[in-house]
Amino acid sequence: MTTLLELRNVGISFGGLRAVDALSFSVEQGQIVGLIGPNGAGKTTVFNMITGVHLPTDGDIFWQGRRITGAPPHRIAALGIQRTFQTIRLFPDMSVFENVRAGCHLRARQRWWQGLMALPAQKREEAALAARTHNVLRRLQLDRFADEPATALPYGLQRRVELARALAGEPRLIILDEPAAGLNDAESAAMNQTIFGIRDAGTTVLLVEHDMNVVMNVTDHIVVINFGRMIAAGTPAEIRSHPAVIEAYLGREDDDAEDAA
Amino acid sequence: MNWVGAALWVLGLGIPAVVDTTWVSVAAVFAIYAITALSEDIILGRAGMFDMGHAVYLGLGAYVTAILNVAFNWPIFATMPVAIMLAAAVGALLAAPLIRLRGDYLLVATIGFNAIFVLAMQNNAAGLTGGSDGITGVDVPHLFSWELASQSAMFWLDWVVLGFVLLLMRNLDRCEFGRTLRYLKQDQLAATTLGVNARAAKTLAFAIGAGLAALAGSLFAVQLSTVGPTSFVFTESVTLFAIVIVGGQGSIPGILLGTALMFVVPQIFRNLAEYRYFVFGIAMIAVMVLRPQGLWPRRKRAA
Amino acid sequence: MSIFIQQIFNGLTVGGIYALIALGYTMVYGVMRLINFAHGDLCILGAFIGLTLLSSAIGSEQPGPAMLALAFVVAIIVVAVAGLVLELVAYRPLRKADRLAAVVSALGASILIENGIMLIWGPNVHVFPAGLLPQTTWYVAGAAITFVQVMIILASLVLMAALYLFVHHTRFGTAIRAAAIDQDTARLMGINVSRVIASVFIIGPALGAIGGLFIGVYYREAYFTMGWTYGLYAFIAAILGGIGNIPGAMLGGVLLGLFNAFAAGYVSSSWQDAITFGLLIAILLVRPTGLLGERVAEKV
Repeated sequence: MTTLLELRNVGISFGGLRAVDALSFSVEQGQIVGLIGPNGAGKTTVFNMITGVHLPTDGDIFWQGRRITGAPPHRIAALGIQRTFQTIRLFPDMSVFENVRAGCHLRARQRWWQGLMALPAQKREEAALAARTHNVLRRLQLDRFADEPATALPYGLQRRVELARALAGEPRLIILDEPAAGLNDAESAAMNQTIFGIRDAGTTVLLVEHDMNVVMNVTDHIVVINFGRMIAAGTPAEIRSHPAVIEAYLGREDDDAEDAA
Repeated sequence: MNWVGAALWVLGLGIPAVVDTTWVSVAAVFAIYAITALSEDIILGRAGMFDMGHAVYLGLGAYVTAILNVAFNWPIFATMPVAIMLAAAVGALLAAPLIRLRGDYLLVATIGFNAIFVLAMQNNAAGLTGGSDGITGVDVPHLFSWELASQSAMFWLDWVVLGFVLLLMRNLDRCEFGRTLRYLKQDQLAATTLGVNARAAKTLAFAIGAGLAALAGSLFAVQLSTVGPTSFVFTESVTLFAIVIVGGQGSIPGILLGTALMFVVPQIFRNLAEYRYFVFGIAMIAVMVLRPQGLWPRRKRAA
Repeated sequence: MSIFIQQIFNGLTVGGIYALIALGYTMVYGVMRLINFAHGDLCILGAFIGLTLLSSAIGSEQPGPAMLALAFVVAIIVVAVAGLVLELVAYRPLRKADRLAAVVSALGASILIENGIMLIWGPNVHVFPAGLLPQTTWYVAGAAITFVQVMIILASLVLMAALYLFVHHTRFGTAIRAAAIDQDTARLMGINVSRVIASVFIIGPALGAIGGLFIGVYYREAYFTMGWTYGLYAFIAAILGGIGNIPGAMLGGVLLGLFNAFAAGYVSSSWQDAITFGLLIAILLVRPTGLLGERVAEKV
């Protein structure tokens, strides 16, 4: 199994706040890895460090063995890493098609002057990328909405559009930040199938999620963090019964039961 | 829209046949300012950078052409590539530090550069710029053995260049670079996550915008046959800035409409004389309050 | 040495004026994230209002300090009202719109006020009547320091101190600071943000009107394009100190005044402006948040 992504002793401080501390874990190719923890545990910060939004103050991040710590977001994208956002970040003034087409940006080889002069090579590429976009829309059952303004769609569909956009470039690793947020049970179950489909199509998945229906059923491996530090790692079965995890995160339900007694 | 635009452009070629020389020169100046406004739109309307010192590039183009032609006897058409390249280089150079600045700071910095440019020209920098009086006696362009000496000939030159720039802008709308600028303007974080190199794209936008403005500047020098610092002061930059916002950011018809209103209408109302700018100010406020998205906003197409 | 002392006092005088005008820019920007391009013109309007009052009094007798004081009061009131009207007409309708629309509206307002002044008072340079204030001059180490200079410096200090106390030690002042940090949260805390904004458009222009009238009294002249010249300098001062930061605007004003005085005294005046703009760009590149740091909410 090839190790795609590896974090070694990664930490970051914001002023006096130690948001993430000594975090180490890896993601193997073909896996679906979950990163879970209570609110404020630092999960999105970890994603931001991987995707180049924040610079870790300590430790290193490796991609296929090469150090990528501190690389800017566009460089990370070029390596084949894509992400979705906790608060959906679709382009507000663009249609669904245009948004997903944006995911093909790195596939566009045309130079700016070729575009400005509307040379034939550029036109051919435009057609090819438009076709590719339509394919992605069809795969995720979004082709009906291609010309709709993306932000006018219902929340669940917007999530799917953002996912389509991230997948359009055929990334090697996709980082999903709370993909099931705001979805009901039926939609969550559908999301599970979508995630499996992504993995089967050849993209490794790293996700953050609070919905246990998704996390427990979809992931091969789970990393649990609290207050920026890892408190447990293992298979879903191991994590489910791990005492530290229960106490920190899942244990909230037990607290309510104790209070009620 | 494209066919209407093309037809209007073709009709425009007939302007010298229908109106007298004064109006032909108004039309020529309109074409020059339209090119400049479109170039400002690339930086402000499309790339979303608050450039309020754009007259610098117009001035650079004008001064390069004037200096090379009057002091060194270069033919006009030979000066244009130099003007464009120089301005593009300056634009790229200035962009480098400016891009990191937050919007309002970028705005103020461009005002500063504009002011320094005008002061440098006024102080006869390097002994070439002619001080407050500027440079006079700019030649007419020569195309092979033709001398483009009449106002009509110069108008056609300007109109053809405008046509070329309009084509460029239309292509910009439909190519990856144009899309890249839209992505950056709407959500820079999402754009960079998708692989957009924000720095490179913005620098390129600045360079292209500067280069096109310099091209307009060359034409400007020929049209007026005089180049002086007062044509490139801060108020000119403000006008260009306002055209883009009032007309409609990223909208080609909007920019053309804005240019017409800002430059041509005051010509029509010349007899109102001193009330002109007062009314102007009122109009600017009114348009913004009533239609903040601009008079002819960019239409969202599913392309 | 006498040149040095002279420039210090010249600089402090002009600096005090810049500071008074800069405060208007900084307060508006702090609360609304908007560069009020019309502010400089409002300040000069104060000079013209004062001038009109003083000139109309000349017929009867030589206007003196009492008349001048009245001129100040009238100028402050008129300009403060103008500031309120400006906010209501040009900015309030655009609160929810694209920021650039408000910028263009501000530019339009500036053009409107500047040309309005020209239409009413004419394009010529107007001279302020002489003898408004005692002509007393003190000599310190060879430098000539006039009564007017001392008055302006002291008045500026008093006003700045008063504003500082108001903003930091009164409930309403705290409301202003809260709105400057986060408008939405301030609203939720029960602060009437519209009233805060209105007050900023009274206080800022009021102080600016005083600054503008000081310009008229000190230089004994006024012309309609002064709004731009002084406005731009005051704005640079606000940035120098840290935009949105009230003590910053005061410090920036004084420093810029001193800088200008020394540049004029020791360097050729034709390059003086270029040096000032060069300084501005240097600040923006090295430390855009200014000497004391900006005070604006970061809208992520």
